[in-house]
Amino acid sequence: MEVKDIFSYDWSYLLPEFIILGFATGLSLLDLFAGKRLGKQAIGLLSLVGVLLATTFVFVNMTTLDQPYSYMADMIRIDDYGNAFKLLFLGGTAFTILISLSYLNQGEVAHRGEYYYLLLSGLLGAMVMASSADLITMFVGLELLSLSSYVLVGMRKKSLHSNESAFKYVVSGSIATAVTLFGMSYVYGLTGTTNIYEISQRLAEAGMMGYQFIIYMAFAFLAVGLAFKISAAPNHMWAPDVYQGAPTPVTAFLAVVSKAAGFSLVFRLLLISFLQVPSAEGPFFFVQGSLYLGLIAAASMIIGNTMALKQTNVKRMMAYSGIAQAGYLLVPFSPPTTLFFSEVIFYLFGYLLVSFGAFAVIMAVAKEQQTEDLKGFAGLYHRSPVMAISMTIFLLSLAGIPISVGFFGKFYLFMGALAQENYWLSGVMIVTSVVSYYYYFGIIRQMYMRSGESEAPLAVPRGIWLLVLLLAIATVFFGVFPGLVTDYIQVNFNPAFDFGNMLPS
Amino acid sequence: MTVSISSYLMVALILFCVGLYGALTKRNAVVVLISIELMLNAVNINLVAFSKFGLHPGVAGQIFTLFTMTVAAAEVAVGLAILIALYRNKATVNVDEMDQMKR
Repeated sequence: MEVKDIFSYDWSYLLPEFIILGFATGLSLLDLFAGKRLGKQAIGLLSLVGVLLATTFVFVNMTTLDQPYSYMADMIRIDDYGNAFKLLFLGGTAFTILISLSYLNQGEVAHRGEYYYLLLSGLLGAMVMASSADLITMFVGLELLSLSSYVLVGMRKKSLHSNESAFKYVVSGSIATAVTLFGMSYVYGLTGTTNIYEISQRLAEAGMMGYQFIIYMAFAFLAVGLAFKISAAPNHMWAPDVYQGAPTPVTAFLAVVSKAAGFSLVFRLLLISFLQVPSAEGPFFFVQGSLYLGLIAAASMIIGNTMALKQTNVKRMMAYSGIAQAGYLLVPFSPPTTLFFSEVIFYLFGYLLVSFGAFAVIMAVAKEQQTEDLKGFAGLYHRSPVMAISMTIFLLSLAGIPISVGFFGKFYLFMGALAQENYWLSGVMIVTSVVSYYYYFGIIRQMYMRSGESEAPLAVPRGIWLLVLLLAIATVFFGVFPGLVTDYIQVNFNPAFDFGNMLPS
Repeated sequence: MTVSISSYLMVALILFCVGLYGALTKRNAVVVLISIELMLNAVNINLVAFSKFGLHPGVAGQIFTLFTMTVAAAEVAVGLAILIALYRNKATVNVDEMDQMKR
C-alpha cells in the first residue's frame, strides 16, 4: 500500500461533508456573535440553504465519479452506496428543518440556534457513517450522530418528559455503543486492521484457522449493538419513550434519518466484514448470520406491531410502528439478495415521505389539541379535510395498502424474500402487516367516525399545510409510478448490481 | 514474564459484564454512567491487548483506543448535562423514579 500525502487527494469529492461542517460551525459562531440581532428564522433558513447546497454537490459527485474514490485507505470512501443514503439523509434533514421552522414558534425550545446546528452535526455524523469503510470512522460518525441526537431529544429543557427521555436515550445508547465496540474489538483482534475490506479477507482466514467461536461472538455483539440505531428487536426499548418525549420534528428526524443511517452502517459493516467467512454448513453470512438477522427482523415485526395495538399516545404508536418498519427493512438482508440495495433505498424513500407527512400532521393536531393522545384526532375530517385525507394517505402507505408508495416498498421486500424461498420470514411479514392495519385504522376511525369537541376549522400554519399536501401528493404519485424511482436507483446507483460499488472490486 | 492473551481477554470480559450488570441494576443515575464507563474501558483493554498479542499485531488498536476514550468522555459529558437538566425539574437522580412515560 503506497503512502499518499494529504495534498495528493482530490478533496472536492468531500464537498457535501465540508459544506455541512462549515455551516454547522459557521452558524454556531453567527449565533454566538449576532444571535440577538438576527431574525427568528434566520438560522433555520440558513441551515436549510446549507443542506440544499450539500445536496447539489452529492448530485455533482454522482455524475463525476464512476469509480469509488477512497481517502486515506478507505477511511472515507465516496461511492454510490454512500451517495444514495446521503441523499436520503439530506432530504430527511431538509424536511426536519421545514417542520422545525413552525414548531419552534411554539416556544418550548428556548435555544433556536443550537437546535439547528445540532441537527446539522447529526446529519454530518450520518453522512460519515454512510461513506466510511473503516471501523474508526464508522464509530466516530455513529457517535457524532448519537451525541447530537441525545441533546436534541432533551432540547425542551423545562419539560420533564423531554429530560427523562433524553436521559433514557443516553443510557441505552451508551450501552449499545459499548456492545458494538466490544464486537469491533474482537473483529480487530482477529484481523489486526480497521479497514473493512482487509477485515473481510483476514476474517475468512481466521475462520479457516478455527477461530469460528470468536467470529460468531463478534457478529452477535455487532448485530445487537447496531440494532439500537435502527430500533430493532433486542435493543428497541428506548424508542417509545424517546419518541414520546422528544420535540416532534426531532422524533421525525430519529425515525427517518437516524434509522436510515443505522441501516447504512449495518449493511456495509456486517455484509463486507463477514462476507467471506466460511463455516461447516456453507458461507457463514448466508447461513447462520442470516438466520440470526432474520430472527431479529421477525422479533421486531412481531413486537412492534403487537405492542402498537394498545398505545393511546400517537407518538408512542409511531415508535412501535417504526420498530416494525425496521423489521421489514431487515427482511431483504437476511440473506441479502442481489436486489436488496435497490429495495431498501426505495423503501426508505417512501418511508421518508410518509413519516414526515404523518409527523407534520401529528404536530399540527397535537399543538392545537394540547395533547398527543389518539383522541385529539377525533373529528379531524370535519375540521380540516385536507389534513385528514393526507393523514389517511400516509397511514395507508405505512400499512402498505395499494396506490401508495409504501405498498410497492413492502411488495418488493416481500417478493425478494419469496424469491429467496425465505417463506417463514415472508409469512411473519404478511401476518404482522395484517395486524398493523388495526392500529393504523384506529387513527382513521377517529378522524372520520368520531365527533371531536369542536367543529371549528383546525388552525394549521400555511407552511405545514403546503408541506403535508405536497407529501401526500408525492406519496400517491410514486405509488402510481414506482418505476420512476426504482429505475432512477438502478441506473444511477446500482447499474452493476454491486450494491452501489460497495462490494470489493 | 509474559501474561497470555486469554488473561487480558478474561479481565476485559469480566469488566464488561460487571459494567453491564451495574448499568442495568443500579438506582443512582451517576453510578449507571460510571458502569457504562466500565464497559467502554473493557473495550479499551481488549483493543490494547489485541494490538500486542492479536493474530496480526499492529498499532491500529491503540489508535482506536484513543478514539473510544475521547468519545466516551464526550458521551459522559452529555449524559451528565442531561442529568443536571433533569435534576433541575425533578430533584432526584434515582433511575426508578424516571417513570413519567410508562403506560
